[in-house]
Amino acid sequence: MKVIESLTKIPRQAIFITIALAIIIPLIVPIGIPVNVMPQTQKLFDAIDELGPESGPVLLSCDFDPQSMPELYPMLVAIMRHCFARNIKIMLMSLWPTGPGLVEMAVDAVPKEFHKVYGQDLTFLGYKAGGSAVILGMGESIRDVFPTDYYGTPIDSLAMMRSVKNYKDISLIVSLSAGDPGYRTWLLYAQSRYEARVGTGVTAVSAADAYPFVESGQLVGLISGMKGASEYEVLVKRKGYSEGIRKAAQGMDAQSLGHLLIMVFIIIGNVGYFFSRRRR
Amino acid sequence: MNLSPDIWVWVSAFLTLCIFSFLFRDNLLYRFAEHLFVGISAGYFIAITWHNVIYPNLVIPLFKQGNIIFIIPFAFGILYFTRFIPKLAYLIRLPIAFLIGWGSGVAIPATFQTYIIKQTQGTLLVPDAFLRWDSGLWAVIGLVGVVSTLIYFFFSKERKGILKPTANLGIIFIMLGFGASFGYTVMARISLLIGRIQFLLGPWLGIIK
Repeated sequence: MKVIESLTKIPRQAIFITIALAIIIPLIVPIGIPVNVMPQTQKLFDAIDELGPESGPVLLSCDFDPQSMPELYPMLVAIMRHCFARNIKIMLMSLWPTGPGLVEMAVDAVPKEFHKVYGQDLTFLGYKAGGSAVILGMGESIRDVFPTDYYGTPIDSLAMMRSVKNYKDISLIVSLSAGDPGYRTWLLYAQSRYEARVGTGVTAVSAADAYPFVESGQLVGLISGMKGASEYEVLVKRKGYSEGIRKAAQGMDAQSLGHLLIMVFIIIGNVGYFFSRRRR
Repeated sequence: MNLSPDIWVWVSAFLTLCIFSFLFRDNLLYRFAEHLFVGISAGYFIAITWHNVIYPNLVIPLFKQGNIIFIIPFAFGILYFTRFIPKLAYLIRLPIAFLIGWGSGVAIPATFQTYIIKQTQGTLLVPDAFLRWDSGLWAVIGLVGVVSTLIYFFFSKERKGILKPTANLGIIFIMLGFGASFGYTVMARISLLIGRIQFLLGPWLGIIK
């Protein structure tokens, strides 16, 4: 009985070390646990997949910061690869001041995989403060809100931006969202007021809150956390669009083992608690 | 193993390990990294606010292009600082009133449309939902969940008769929601740990790609 009761007194350092090992080992020696694609991720993939070079650009709003990078940055890279493979133009922007540095990393890395040219195939508008005011302003005129891109180049001198005036000229908005302003702000103002098509990729913490918007059709699709990012990476690879490094998919073995271990600890803790209560 | 030659990767790895050291116990290295983060964040946001907000939206149009109309938002902004002068502190109400008025006017119709009308429409059982048996089943479960949860939060009538089992059913749906949220939170935290360990094993130690 003492053994069972001692289960409730495992030192927290031992738990941390066990979880660290469960994460580190599968990253070094992958197991290859298969990734099942959830319907809401498939919906967003299909919404982009049905677009083509003749469609308007996809607007990727990178509303996140380095803290949520492990979850949202792989989504950004995977969606950019998908768009470029389909010859869809991309507009990038951020409603978060900490977003542009992360977007720049993707702008430096992804277009060269597909030999895409800045200004013709993608544009980075940068960060603008104001959240809802920015979204409302872009619904009237994007160049009034962003007269220049992130690098100070006038918008009108970028070839792909000459035909883009407001949301009517954009095929799809995808907000990679770690909080507020984020996908909810895009839904509130771009979707409900201007009837723009909005999809989102969110951190796992906020995924449960986003599901009702997919069910109601307000969001065209949803990518949830690192797991969702890995699903999107798998879809991009399955279609033969890119063979690039898939950061989120690499982490899925570690994620699965980590979850398994936490479940084991929850069961152990509850068993120990149950027996210690019975004894009292 | 292929250690990074980049000094900034080493700085980043060192600070990551400093923060992780808190898992053992609170210590000097953790506090150093924490204070550094707070200081750098504050400085970063001041610089970003100046370069992305104040300079392009106020300094250039008002002081460089001579656009006089920008005096109005400038004056409104300055009124925020009257809080530091007790005799004039009441003037802060003007910009706050403006912001609340504008914010409410913009947000209320959009919120009503997004969170109430469209969500209610999404909950209703429409014939399209029954084109497939599984989507029809989920639509029914969704409707039952919404109604029973709303009844749980209906406090104007004593829980007797049909209200009692319905409210109890609502508790089950609420608990399922909490469970899903907690599960996702665990998933998010593990993801963040994976991200940091991928950085330590990849760019820093060069063990993985």
